[in-house]
Amino acid sequence: MQKWLFTKARRAWLAALGAVIAAGLLTPIEAQAATPAGCAALQDKYPDWKGKTLTNAINPHTPGYEAIDPKDPSKYVGFDIDLGEAIGDCLGFTLTYKPVVFAALLTTLASGQADIVISDIYATKERAKAADFITYSKVFDGVLVAKGNPKGIHGIDLTLCGAAAAENTGFVEVPLVQDMGPKCKDAGKPEPTLQLYDNNANCIQAILAGRADTYINDVNTVDQAVKAYPDKLEKAIAVTIPYSVGIAVPKDKPKFRDAVLAALIEVQKAGVHQELLKKWELDPANFKEPDILTAD
Amino acid sequence: MSLFLHYLSLPYLLQGIELTLQVTALGLIGGLILGLILAGMQLSRFWLLSALARGYTVIFRGTPLILQMVFAYDALPHIGIKLPAVLAAGLALACNEAPFIAEMLRAGVLGVDRGQLLAGQALGMTPAVLMRRIIAPQAIRTMIPAFGNEAVSALKNSSLASVIAVQELTLRSTQLASSTFDFFSIFFASGLIYLVLTGAVSAIQLALEWLLDLDRASRQRQLADYLPWRRVDVATKPKLAEQTAADTATPEPAELKETPPLALTSEDRAKRAATIARNNIAVEVKDLRKSYHGHAVLDGLDLTVRIGEVVALLGPSGSGKSTLLRCINHLEHWEAGEIRVGGRRLGFGDDGRTLSPRAIANERANVGVGMVFQQFNLFAHLTAKENIAGPLRWVHGLGRFEAERRAGELLERVGLSHRADALPRHLSGGQQQRVAIARALAPNPSVLLLDEPTSALDPELVNEVLEVIRRLAIDDGLTMIISTHQIRFADEVADRVAFLNGGVILEQGPAHEVLSHPRHPLTARFLSVMDAERQKDAVA
Repeated sequence: MQKWLFTKARRAWLAALGAVIAAGLLTPIEAQAATPAGCAALQDKYPDWKGKTLTNAINPHTPGYEAIDPKDPSKYVGFDIDLGEAIGDCLGFTLTYKPVVFAALLTTLASGQADIVISDIYATKERAKAADFITYSKVFDGVLVAKGNPKGIHGIDLTLCGAAAAENTGFVEVPLVQDMGPKCKDAGKPEPTLQLYDNNANCIQAILAGRADTYINDVNTVDQAVKAYPDKLEKAIAVTIPYSVGIAVPKDKPKFRDAVLAALIEVQKAGVHQELLKKWELDPANFKEPDILTAD
Repeated sequence: MSLFLHYLSLPYLLQGIELTLQVTALGLIGGLILGLILAGMQLSRFWLLSALARGYTVIFRGTPLILQMVFAYDALPHIGIKLPAVLAAGLALACNEAPFIAEMLRAGVLGVDRGQLLAGQALGMTPAVLMRRIIAPQAIRTMIPAFGNEAVSALKNSSLASVIAVQELTLRSTQLASSTFDFFSIFFASGLIYLVLTGAVSAIQLALEWLLDLDRASRQRQLADYLPWRRVDVATKPKLAEQTAADTATPEPAELKETPPLALTSEDRAKRAATIARNNIAVEVKDLRKSYHGHAVLDGLDLTVRIGEVVALLGPSGSGKSTLLRCINHLEHWEAGEIRVGGRRLGFGDDGRTLSPRAIANERANVGVGMVFQQFNLFAHLTAKENIAGPLRWVHGLGRFEAERRAGELLERVGLSHRADALPRHLSGGQQQRVAIARALAPNPSVLLLDEPTSALDPELVNEVLEVIRRLAIDDGLTMIISTHQIRFADEVADRVAFLNGGVILEQGPAHEVLSHPRHPLTARFLSVMDAERQKDAVA
């Protein structure tokens, strides 16, 4: 009897173990299960990248989009990382990552040291001179300020006059802040000053250290910063910026650009894009149908 | 604190050390190789090479490393050179370090006493041997602290590789800070890791200094002397000086045997002169002309010296004595005239063209012209014995045993067997000059040139050196040309004196005759001034 009981217990244990193993095996499959149906046809149409490993240049200082995994620093995680891998799955390539400063993203691509850039970079006409873009997301900027917003900053407007703004070198917000200079002057107010850093962490530290009054960037980045320092920082307001976020690819590879566009369409059709926005707690309003942006 | 310790032991950060070290090592090793080439070019005889090296130095020392990193990484691919990030960073760091290392090397090489180089050349060392045996060992010793500095700075500069995606310590720290927001714990941890690495470099530097310290073998020098808080100057130097002083002050056991002063009768002198007159010509100088910056130093000088003859060159400073001696073994070039040693034109090919420095060196060794300098010019990093044995091995190809035996013999002859293992700096001036004479004699030269051999000595040390030279003349019958201010010595030892003035020989003849009855008024005046000086000295 005792023996039978023991066996029964052991069976239960084995079943539990089996379930755990099955779950372990199935989880990654589930995560990948989203490889959309149309992708097989795309791989036939664009076979050049199948089985290849491509290099994705990123500026991994934007938790939520791309940053190293705090639990396993050998991995990069975030919305852009997942989206890139979904596109890679669709076309049959895998990605490795090359971390560079924001301002070096497009030069790295142009010099051939990277094949693609999926790093929360806004597609502008100016940048399109250096790379072709496949846009995939709308842009909402947040205004990060010290708790209580002591300077009363409410966006890239006259409230910015006389304030010190921290920005990353190469960010689109840089010329927008600079443009406020003459406007402030006309209004008889001091011009805003700019402090240029090379990653988000430095910009956030500038506010924490009292060196800068505001940091205007993607609203999600701002939210992450407020989450990390709820006693010291706050988001003043979200502003709309007339740009889209884009995937950058080399200008001399139109076929690759078309393949990525087609794959992104498949990924969106399969609902993966929306799922990922949810997974990374991003505003579903970010979603955007893809477009091509080139210099001409 | 716990976060700090967490990041300090985080494998992700620790793995960054490996890449940091890789970039540093590439930068330093590459920089050393490039620096050697650059320094060689800058010190080269060919102006185009040194101009190119200058240009490189201006560019790479004058632009920021961060730009060079980006250039190596992003610009080189446009001309088809796509290096992996670590190599690109290593290349940029190497190119940036090279001019600094080259300047260190150049300073080290130029810092080696010029006299030692002349001595090496006079011994027949080729430029390569000179570099390897004399310059490099001394230059390296002086360069270690600077190289330690450079290594530390390269290690820190490797952090700039973070801008070109090399996952070294700094890039890992900034990424980690961005994703965790633990800014300060992370940077304190990575700062401490850098400190440990640079500390290790400093330790290696001190260990090398200790290993290469010449005083380590002979003195009770301890590693502890190198610790930063140890005041070496105060604690050690007086002790060393005391020991050295004791060494020189003790009466020397194997001192030179007293030989009766060479008081040759006029009969002996005549006999010796007759013998010499029948001998072959050892050195022949014809119409030698040389000038520095338009000022004639040698102005058509003629001199013939026969085998076994001892000629003393007298004359005021600047009369051309030293220059004449240096021309005889072709340590200096001249504009016109001819010099033959043993019938050969030293340093010229069959077609009359000047040979390369290397070929001249080989000729010097073959013809056998020894030289003794006013400032002794012993090789400072070698013991007395090695100063003699070394050149025998490197220039004349003797085996270690044979060279040491010969060195031992010669040291005994100059009465310095007991100081065989002493470094030059621990010998008195007189002892150094005796070692220098032994070194010049070692390859059995056919002619020995002595350039004011006692002028740099304290008066009480002059005699021990003169005694050695005197015996070379009597016992060995060595052909010698001595420039000197010691009138009495010239009178005793020389067969002939030649009085130089303005780059020509004003008067020459049998020593005793010229010195006691000078014919030329300038000779007479010079001799009377010298005599007055001597008496003043004697009174004082």
